[in-house]
Amino acid sequence: MSEILSKSKASLRWRLGPLWSLASLLMLVYLVTLANSFMGESLQVQLQFALVNLIIVVALQMFIGTTGVLSFGHIAFVAVGAWTVGLLTIEPDLKRSLLSDMFPFLFDVQAPWLVAVFIGGLVGGLLALIVSPFLMRLNGLQAGIATFALLGVVTQVLTYWSSIGPRSGQSMVGIPDVLNLQTTMFFALGAIVIAWLFQRTRPARLLRAAREDGIAAAASGINVVSQRIIAFTISGIVAGVAGGLFALTNRVLQAQQLGIELTFITLAMLVLGGMLSLSGAVIGALVFSVIDVGLVQLQAGVDIGSFVVSIPQGVRPIILGLILVGFLIFRPSGLTRGREIVWPFRPQRQALPGVPPENE
Amino acid sequence: MNQFIQSLVDAISGGAILGLAALSIGLVFGVIRLANFAQGEIITAAAYTLIFTWQLGWFISIPLSIVVAVALSLLMEFTVFSRMRTATPATLLIASFGLSFLLQRVYEMLFTNTVQTAPVGSALAQSIDVGGVRIQMLSVVTIILAGSLLYGLTLFLAKSSLGLQLQAAAADFQTARLIGISASRVIGLSFALSGVLAAAVAFVSTVQTGAVGPSFGVPIVILALVGAVIGGIDKLSGALAGGFLVGFATSMLASWLPQDFSNFRDAYVFGLVILVLLFRPSGLLIRGRGVART
Repeated sequence: MSEILSKSKASLRWRLGPLWSLASLLMLVYLVTLANSFMGESLQVQLQFALVNLIIVVALQMFIGTTGVLSFGHIAFVAVGAWTVGLLTIEPDLKRSLLSDMFPFLFDVQAPWLVAVFIGGLVGGLLALIVSPFLMRLNGLQAGIATFALLGVVTQVLTYWSSIGPRSGQSMVGIPDVLNLQTTMFFALGAIVIAWLFQRTRPARLLRAAREDGIAAAASGINVVSQRIIAFTISGIVAGVAGGLFALTNRVLQAQQLGIELTFITLAMLVLGGMLSLSGAVIGALVFSVIDVGLVQLQAGVDIGSFVVSIPQGVRPIILGLILVGFLIFRPSGLTRGREIVWPFRPQRQALPGVPPENE
Repeated sequence: MNQFIQSLVDAISGGAILGLAALSIGLVFGVIRLANFAQGEIITAAAYTLIFTWQLGWFISIPLSIVVAVALSLLMEFTVFSRMRTATPATLLIASFGLSFLLQRVYEMLFTNTVQTAPVGSALAQSIDVGGVRIQMLSVVTIILAGSLLYGLTLFLAKSSLGLQLQAAAADFQTARLIGISASRVIGLSFALSGVLAAAVAFVSTVQTGAVGPSFGVPIVILALVGAVIGGIDKLSGALAGGFLVGFATSMLASWLPQDFSNFRDAYVFGLVILVLLFRPSGLLIRGRGVART
């Protein structure tokens, strides 16, 4: 009897453990947003960008963390998502006068911004699905280079192809001011929930197995490529939604903003938190953003007693770069060491036969 | 026809530059599995040196740029990569990507975002007439420079003891160490040689443009890295040939595609890269599986 009880207790704990890690991440994002709402206007804008980045990092983690395959290409999905939302929300008259080279049918297609964001997600996912049969067979360095090539293609097409956007060197303007901090937060919470749910699905479990030992996984009959295609597509959808939110937050779009630099920043966030866990993605994005905001404040000058402490212009990105390189050298598994947040008030659970580990 | 020969010479010299750049990446990769994205910033550093010291005379400026490139290359190894010996190639790629970003921002702070200009090697900027065909002097010099560097490097690798040690380490690092080859010496040597090649690439590119900004080396290193991978980064000849192929193709596409399409030439090259990697993941020139599946 007591054995049965302890077993059911254990299985309850096994079920609640991951739920706790989800709840704590949601609370964390909520509390940061809440704390921020008491601060100044400019900080709120910065937090909105930080939350958009957080969604991108969550999308990256869904793929890189689950499969162990490097991707420099997710910003391409962000870019097409942003482009889609830009094209769907700018007033038709404005499009006619500013983006005159476009395909004529694009002048009149319109959508409410919320619908546009979801269409942006679908376009991001579609692009991921189309390219995935080519990319998902590759591992390691080759995957890095091929996804980088994808980013290069998309950036160049968006920069130069004036049939689907502004002429090269110009930017897309006139995106409506509809998105507030609270709504962005709900999107971020939604992205975390989706990533958490994805972690518990069969494809994600198979991919984690393949990540740990590709040969054993293939020998057990896992078709790694097709499982990766699923993961890539879902994370492409999330990245596309993030792109739509970026468009509505920034309200000016240029292909160059959605290129190597954003790739660098989001990857740095993921490395900082730890690639292998969702907690790593969320904590990395938040900590990185807090450091970044702190450096922006320091650049403007901070009063400490009778002194004004400030750092020269240009030091901020250097420190951010040092964080990435430093973490890769001294703590490559990131702040979370690749683990999820676990229930803090209980002794470490004994390993039970037949019970999957909760840290994934 | 004349125009074709002209573009052919330009394409060969474009291929020669990228071949050298890809070779400089392949040299380091062979030994420590690092595809160094920050190679571009070594090129940029050498180019800045040329720009700032050119008025002292080429016989000072060029050696100085080589010294700077080699020093920066070794500095990267000692401060960053030597601490990451157990990391996977993908992690090393991210680290070098971060280092590249970091150095670009340092250049931005030191030399501002605007390009620095100087008439580096302006004597080479003219064209010469060979049997009715106008040929860029620089293209000829580039081809000769690349050819002699390659010849020198091949001699060094094949004849000198250090060169043989380097080749052994590139073929099988663990076994090479077992038979008494000093790891740190070979790694240092590969970084130094790759710095020398970077300086050569920097010289030619600086003469070509005459202007250097913080992200000067980025487009060069992206194409070189891509070339090295599709040629087969695991072998020096593969990296060299892949880099040459990419440089040749981009130059040809730029001269022969109509303006509307030539804007997209890098997109075509990248698209081609994805296809090559799909069918030959370890590179065009490598038989068997090579590094691809690790």
